[in-house]
Amino acid sequence: MARFQGADAFGAPSDELSLLPFNFERTGTEQFLVSNMVGDFLRLTEDEIDRLIDLRLNPGDGLYEKAYASHLITGRNQMAQRQVLAMRLRSRMSFLRQVTPLHIFVVTLRCEHSCPYCQVSRQSTDRSRFDMSEQIAERALNIAFDSQAARIKIEFQGGEPLLNFELIKTIVSAAKLKSGATGKAVDFVIASNLALLDDTVLAFCKSHGVLLSTSLDGPADLHNKNRPRPGNNSHELAVSGIRRAKEALGPDRVGALMTTTEASLDRVDEIIDEYLRLGLDGIFLRPLSPFGFAIKTKQFQRYDAQNWLAFYERGLRRVLEINRQGTPFREFYAALILTRMLTDKPIGYVDLRSPAGVGIGALVYNYDGSVFASDEGRMLAEMGDNAFRLGHVNDNDYRSLVLSDRLIDSISNSLTQCAPECSTCVFESHCGADPVYHHATQGDDLGIKPLSEFCARQKGIMHLLLDILAKSPDDAAILRRWAAA
Amino acid sequence: MRLTLPMLRMHQAVTDQRGALIEVTVDFDSSIQSLNALEAAAYRIIGIATCEIEKGVDRFICHLTARKTSSRGEPLDADALKVKFLYLVTDENLRLRIADKTEGVRNVILALAFGSLAASQKDPP
Amino acid sequence: MTLPLFGTAALCQGFDSAHARSVVRLQSSGLGAARNESDFVIVRTPEEMRRVVAQGNNSIFIINDSPNDILSTEAFSGRAIGLSSQFAYLAEGDVIGIHNPSRKFRTLFRRNSRHNSFLVTERCNNYCLMCSQPPKDIDDHWILDEIRRSLPLLDKATPTLTFTGGEPLSDWTDFISVLAECRDQLPRTAVQVLTNGRAFSRSEIVDAWRELNHPSLIAAIPVYSAVDHVHDYVVQAKGAFDETILGILKLKDRGQRVEVRIVLHAQTAPALLQTCRWLARNLPFVDHVALMGLENTGFAIANEDLLWIDPVDYRDDLAAGVDTLSAAGVNVSVYNLQRCVLHRSVWPHAVQSISDWKNGYVKDCNSCTEKPRCSGFFTSGRPRQSRGIAAIL
Repeated sequence: MARFQGADAFGAPSDELSLLPFNFERTGTEQFLVSNMVGDFLRLTEDEIDRLIDLRLNPGDGLYEKAYASHLITGRNQMAQRQVLAMRLRSRMSFLRQVTPLHIFVVTLRCEHSCPYCQVSRQSTDRSRFDMSEQIAERALNIAFDSQAARIKIEFQGGEPLLNFELIKTIVSAAKLKSGATGKAVDFVIASNLALLDDTVLAFCKSHGVLLSTSLDGPADLHNKNRPRPGNNSHELAVSGIRRAKEALGPDRVGALMTTTEASLDRVDEIIDEYLRLGLDGIFLRPLSPFGFAIKTKQFQRYDAQNWLAFYERGLRRVLEINRQGTPFREFYAALILTRMLTDKPIGYVDLRSPAGVGIGALVYNYDGSVFASDEGRMLAEMGDNAFRLGHVNDNDYRSLVLSDRLIDSISNSLTQCAPECSTCVFESHCGADPVYHHATQGDDLGIKPLSEFCARQKGIMHLLLDILAKSPDDAAILRRWAAA
Repeated sequence: MRLTLPMLRMHQAVTDQRGALIEVTVDFDSSIQSLNALEAAAYRIIGIATCEIEKGVDRFICHLTARKTSSRGEPLDADALKVKFLYLVTDENLRLRIADKTEGVRNVILALAFGSLAASQKDPP
Repeated sequence: MTLPLFGTAALCQGFDSAHARSVVRLQSSGLGAARNESDFVIVRTPEEMRRVVAQGNNSIFIINDSPNDILSTEAFSGRAIGLSSQFAYLAEGDVIGIHNPSRKFRTLFRRNSRHNSFLVTERCNNYCLMCSQPPKDIDDHWILDEIRRSLPLLDKATPTLTFTGGEPLSDWTDFISVLAECRDQLPRTAVQVLTNGRAFSRSEIVDAWRELNHPSLIAAIPVYSAVDHVHDYVVQAKGAFDETILGILKLKDRGQRVEVRIVLHAQTAPALLQTCRWLARNLPFVDHVALMGLENTGFAIANEDLLWIDPVDYRDDLAAGVDTLSAAGVNVSVYNLQRCVLHRSVWPHAVQSISDWKNGYVKDCNSCTEKPRCSGFFTSGRPRQSRGIAAIL
């Protein structure tokens, strides 16, 4: 005779429950945003959080089920959830397995623009002083190939890298030989203003699979104001460069980045429309770095986190509207954050991770052979602060650069997992450390987060995304597609 | 005994020139209120106000000093500052309770994730 | 129409008394002498009887309502089994297991079927509210022997084979050795094992499973909820959820293939979306998720009050759940549900899944344009129809 037990025979009494680690932030007088150890979010009232912490929960009361499914509680003698959390943590941190996937080669400091926020000062046409030599390039390439990543990306920057196109060609050829010999895959990007783009360059990029990345700050007047150039035609050249490059290389081989200055803040719709007009598949809305000329020209203090967040929200909503009208178009920073929030997939973006991406995410080889832990670290050096200079290609190998005391201190001091406020922040699983920013603005790698514009921006973006995901089903579907891609 | 938070030298280009100061004092029963929680709350409110914590007889006394306006030029009043600080203290007290109950299992999960047990698992082919 | 897969033979003679059980493969009478010890030639008419005896066969399989009449057509002293015409579906290549003293038999394998499955045991350490094969606490080791003897007789070109129960891993060492046999005898056959997965919470069992190095093996494991007590209640075993999830983690950690199954009924449907979201966040690396309509048989009938829910009442959540899983990159299929009760967005995932021997349609289906693609209905148990059944025109 079959005997079945009722549902109440299968619940555990509360003294057999254990609390699992979680973070929270108060979002209203009695409202809390809660996240578990791997960053899954849910919202609870103050009463629910109290009951949760005291384990005053019972199977069937609704809170038990919400808390259990979100890994906030487990059975004291159970094992599966602990293993699930451990496994998901490993997935989320697996970016650590690919050490230093990004290598930036500053092939020259020379540039024919004179952008006020640029950390690289205008230099002369004296190649010998401001171009990277072949000897330094060769040593830098050897270091890059010593990194552990199975696939590396070599990014050519400057100044204007196309002013030293000969060296780019040399490096690409040498890198491909080494790639064949070692089995390490290599991707190439040239970050250029495209003013000097010609058929020779395009042919080379096409035959060697080189991607192009350029700056496009918005419509002509805005772009040209940010990027002065003899002839004041930076925008015109960028636009024609993008068009030519897309045609020659394919639309997915050309990308554009924008820099937000004070002048950009009221014009995000126009900026996005400019990107659309050129057939670009998305936009990366990012704030200005606080370094170099930015400080000298006081660009950096012209807008604070709140202003920038208003700009960002407006831009994101415009992008979503474009999607709702039928054109696929992404905001790339949101896509990165959403991938972190909605999946456990590691992402290749080195600027938002903890342990920080300095050195172990990217290495920058300056034209003179100095090696820096990040591009911003190089810019700091241009202002006289060598805090993030790790060494020189003639004096160091990969190991000594990445295992240097300076780098290890910087990374360990800035760990969000241990930092005050960060370690208990509801967004910690999706955020990252930025020791260079905090060093530059506050004088230490960790920074006091309540005073950090970086922190304010991050929190603002994440609150905004969570709000859209919860309240706007059509927009939420668009955002989820970005995370799934 | 006065407890002061170390003031860091700011290298920011921004200098603070605005508004007069408002001052608020909030005190707590030191037999039930943790000092760690007060210090954490003081840390969190730094963007708006500085906080000096003074130890009295059976009390912790928090002296909050804020600009009269926020960096966005919005007026701050003493009551709002006090309420905000109290919320922050409540939150930090909650955090202490959570940490107390979950520190052990947190370490177990980290060990499972990154410790030698994890290393001995083979990656899926 | 439900195919009869077991019964009692009208006659069973000529077997030596050393073995109580025999495994028999059917051979067509046109092919001359029998191939091996287990092959029995099919005889349906007296003419065939004469021909078969003339060819020197001494193992015959009579399918006829009067098998004794057929047998007495010719002088015959070999082994003979006789079944009524109810079993006329049996054909060349099919395999039967028979208990000689009682003449009770089961059809173990049908060569022309896409849904061959071996019941491994009736023992189980769960006791699901809706179990279609209610557990029995008996010693049925003989079944594994019978399977071992059957494997060499199966068509090497068999595309898939399922092992089910009860809980196949109840005697895990024996069962895994049977899987090894299966790997060796049928290297081109994909194998699916329906299991509650709890055994895989033990590393030694996962390791033994992995060491099989089977070319195509998948464990199909039910997970009914994101919440322990709900899953445990459905399977009537405390601690089952924890063991099952741990088992899935260990299998995937060692690179083994896993399918997660959710049977949809009144205990699992209300939180279906939560369960799908939980799978998409926590186990997105499983090889497949199958969301399955309920078969109203076995315990499901006894617990009908607890279990019945009209599929149209969960179809919104089902569509949302399928969408969530797909967006997370999970392969997801819907089994056993008719297209007319599913949202169109789910149709690409709806599979014709019901085993052929218990699959049928109703009158409304005759004019339905989706019938060729629809999974139809269970004919087993006590079928219960949704109010949403209607031809799609």
